[in-house]
Amino acid sequence: MTWVDQGRAVLRLCYFNGIIPLWRSPLLIAAVFLTPFSFLFFLKVVAPAAAFPYGVVGGILFTVLFSGNGMLNDCAYLRLERQLQQVFVASPVRSFSYVLGMALSELAFTLPALVLFLGILAAILPISVGGFLLLLGVVLLTWLMATTLGFLISTMFRQLREIWPIGTLIFSGLAILPPIFYPANVVPSDVQWVAFLAPSTYAAQLAERAAGLSTGSLAPAFLGSPVFDLIGLVGGTVLFALAAAYLARWREP
Amino acid sequence: MEALVARGLSKTYRGRDRPVAALDGVDLVVERGRLFGLLGRNGAGKTTFIKIAATLLLPTAGTVHLFGHDVVRAPERVRPDVALVPQEGRPFYHMTPREHIYEYLRVRGASSETATARTEELLDAMGLRAVEREPSYRLSGGFQQRTLVAMILATEAPFLFLDEPTLGMDPFARRQVWEVIRAAARKGSTVLLTTHYLDEAEQLSEELAVIEGGRVLYRGTADSLRSTIRREVRLQFSGGFTTAELEPFGKVLVDRQRLVLLTARASVRELTELALQRGSEVTVGPVTLEEAFLELVGRGIEEDL
Repeated sequence: MTWVDQGRAVLRLCYFNGIIPLWRSPLLIAAVFLTPFSFLFFLKVVAPAAAFPYGVVGGILFTVLFSGNGMLNDCAYLRLERQLQQVFVASPVRSFSYVLGMALSELAFTLPALVLFLGILAAILPISVGGFLLLLGVVLLTWLMATTLGFLISTMFRQLREIWPIGTLIFSGLAILPPIFYPANVVPSDVQWVAFLAPSTYAAQLAERAAGLSTGSLAPAFLGSPVFDLIGLVGGTVLFALAAAYLARWREP
Repeated sequence: MEALVARGLSKTYRGRDRPVAALDGVDLVVERGRLFGLLGRNGAGKTTFIKIAATLLLPTAGTVHLFGHDVVRAPERVRPDVALVPQEGRPFYHMTPREHIYEYLRVRGASSETATARTEELLDAMGLRAVEREPSYRLSGGFQQRTLVAMILATEAPFLFLDEPTLGMDPFARRQVWEVIRAAARKGSTVLLTTHYLDEAEQLSEELAVIEGGRVLYRGTADSLRSTIRREVRLQFSGGFTTAELEPFGKVLVDRQRLVLLTARASVRELTELALQRGSEVTVGPVTLEEAFLELVGRGIEEDL
């Protein structure tokens, strides 16, 4: 198969696992909306009005990060429960095409929620074109990071029941524990560095800047640097992509 | 010409307490264009063999070459030539049979015209026409399995791995699938099939191998398997004999309160005359493949003990 054929395979896989399920079971979208909008609702009720835009940015990142959990569950389900990954391994479809196709299908699930969050953000903040493009870049990198991580983990286990708690644990660690729904300077200054162990914190910092929100001062001071955030997000994405490329088990050992 | 050549193929899994050998030095050759049956009990190593040959699993030792390409070192050269029906596979939850066949062909790089033509052909041949637009979650287990098999057979890949392809199908559906598998072989595909339905193995396989405990116990035709066990005749008695009386002549089985003796041709005349003298009704026929298989594998197990 040529690279053009591989590209077509990517789009068809997205159609298999994303478009068709969405078309036939539109309620699946509700599951994607539910958690981030619940968080946003709580923020709206209990937090000062200034916190709301941070919540919207957090909702965007939460939605994208949890597409990694969707990737993990879908890939594990297709491999272990339906034995369908094997059908693609024993075919001309490359592992890269399979992963990208599945990742795009997860993006298809999150797209309605993302559009809504971006719409809300555009309605409440005057975002520049540059800021909007930066935000899209952050979303893209975060999606790559989360979905490659999801695929990697999905290939590591032999039982679906083992995977469910692991996925929840890891993606909660990336999307709920780090400061993505609020600015990082809300975290007590002596443990702010801990938040930067999660690559999603860098994504949140960059996304907040892209939306024109203040990220405040952090300790140590270099944590607040946009260059540092960019290195953190790109580094995390490259790290997870490389880990997926070299450690994921396309063929069982 | 050889399609598949396995030499000294071994696979050891890490067990909970100790390593478990699924394959132990398997040598096997499958000729091009053949319908080859791989038989064995549960856990004998059939699926492990297929997984290694289809590039899904790495062996612990040994080699497999498919159309001359090493499946371990050059999987990307092997994969365009293979397609696999996995054991206990299920189709995509939301997709219809038509979508499965057409879309999978397109994913593999088939043109729209080819994919459309083969989809129409397979929908008819596999009896899926009536449910072609139903999402698979609405289909019975048998129809889901047919969908998966149709999707793979439609590829017309040079090498088809079918791991229990008719599992859960009714006898009519099984026969439809057999016809499609035969047609694939006629078109030039080499087929490696595992099944627990011995009638299916006999109907389909031009050649077969029996695996037990990770080793090849037998390789040849179904007929020669019967000769191998040296008890090629089956005598069924309605009464007049005890098990102890028949045991010196061969293997005695009890089938619905009737005694069945698997024995050599040389004993048939003596036993039928004896049966007539005793007023016992006796039916004479060839040993079934299932009986030959049970006998062969039974011996293999005894030798291991």
